[in-house]
Amino acid sequence: MKRLFVLLMLLAGLSAAPVLAGDLGPVVPRASGKPHPEGNEFWRINHMLLMVHDRDQTMRLGNREVQASLAECVDCHAVKGADGAPVSAEDERHFCRTCHDYVAVKIDCFQCHNSRPEAPKQALRTPEPADMPGILAYLKEAGE
Amino acid sequence: MSTLYALLFYVATALLVVGTAIKIRTYARTPAPLKIPTTPAPTTRSGVFWRMFREIAFFESLFKSNKWIWLFGYMFHVALALILLRHFRYFTTGWFWVDWVQPFGVYASFAFVLGLAGLWARRFVVERIRYISSPSDHLMLALLLGIGLSGMGMKFVAKTDIVAVKVFFQGLMRFQINDLPTHPALLIHLGLVALLMIIFPISKLLHAPGVFFSPTRNQVDDPREKRHLAPWAAQLEK
Repeated sequence: MKRLFVLLMLLAGLSAAPVLAGDLGPVVPRASGKPHPEGNEFWRINHMLLMVHDRDQTMRLGNREVQASLAECVDCHAVKGADGAPVSAEDERHFCRTCHDYVAVKIDCFQCHNSRPEAPKQALRTPEPADMPGILAYLKEAGE
Repeated sequence: MSTLYALLFYVATALLVVGTAIKIRTYARTPAPLKIPTTPAPTTRSGVFWRMFREIAFFESLFKSNKWIWLFGYMFHVALALILLRHFRYFTTGWFWVDWVQPFGVYASFAFVLGLAGLWARRFVVERIRYISSPSDHLMLALLLGIGLSGMGMKFVAKTDIVAVKVFFQGLMRFQINDLPTHPALLIHLGLVALLMIIFPISKLLHAPGVFFSPTRNQVDDPREKRHLAPWAAQLEK
C-alpha cells in the first residue's frame, strides 16, 4: 500500500511537469481563403459527414444546386511542395494526410477526385457563329 | 476534467499492471499436486502447446460442451481482439497493420455488442444460469456493453475530435496533460474503460491469464512414464 502511494505521488509529480502541448499532434497546414463560419472544431469533427451528405445530394439524388464541392476544399487547403506546386494526396504533407495519417484513417476521396487544385475548366472549343447552322442541323436530326 | 482523467488513467494503469502481475505470480506459485489432465490429453509437451493454442484461439472446450454459448462467447472475444487492435491507433503512428485493421474493428463493434447481448440474455433466460449468476457477472457484461455502446456512439452517432483524443493519450505516455475533448460519450467511454482496468485484477476477467494455469489443460498425460511429484510433496518424502 505504501509503495503504491509513493508510485502515485511520483506519477502526480511528473504529470505536473511543464506541459508541452502541440508537439505531439499533427501540424495542420494553414489554408488560404476565409475561415469556416462553423468554426474549425466543428469541421475537424464533422467534415466527413458534410462531404458524404453532399456526395449523396449531388450524385445519388441529382441535386446540382449544392453550394459546396470537394474542389473548393482542395483549392483553399492546398499545400505547396518544394517546387511551389501543390502536392497531391500521394505526398504525406498533403493537408488531409497530416491528420488522417496520424489517426490511421484512410482517405477514399482521391481514388476518383483530384487532390490538387485544378485550373478553371474550359470547353475544348467555343462555338463560332459560322458553326451554328451545322450544330442546329445536327440537333434537329438527333431530335427526330 | 483533463487532469482528472489523466490521474484516473495513471491509477487505473498502475493497478491493472501491478495487480495482474501479482495475480499471475500467485497462480504461477500455486502448487498443482495432482496429475489431472482432462483426457483424451496430449502425451507430449508440444502436444500440450497445441492443445493450449486451440483452447485460446478457438475455445475448444466450450465448443465441445455448448455450441450456442460458444457462438456468442467466441463472437464477443474475437470482436474484442479486433477492437483492441483498432485502438492501437491512439498509441502508435504509422504502423501498417494498425492502418490495415481499422475497418475490421468497425465491423467487429456489431459482433461485440451482439455477442455480449447473447451472453447477458443467457444469464436471464437459462434457469440454472440465472440461479448461479452473481452481481459481478452482470456488472462485467454491463460494463463491457457500456464501453461498446459508448464507443459506437462516437463512431456512428455523435463524433468527437479523435486527433485531440490521441494528443491527450500521447501526452499521458510522456507525462504531460493535454486537453481531452469534453464529449459526453467520450467521457463515459473512457470512464468505463478505466473502471474495467481497475477491477480487472480482482474480477472474473482474470480468466485471461488464468486459462494458461489450468492443470486440466496444461498438463502432459504421462503419469505412467514419469511420476508426478509436486516440490512440496517431494519434501515430505525426505
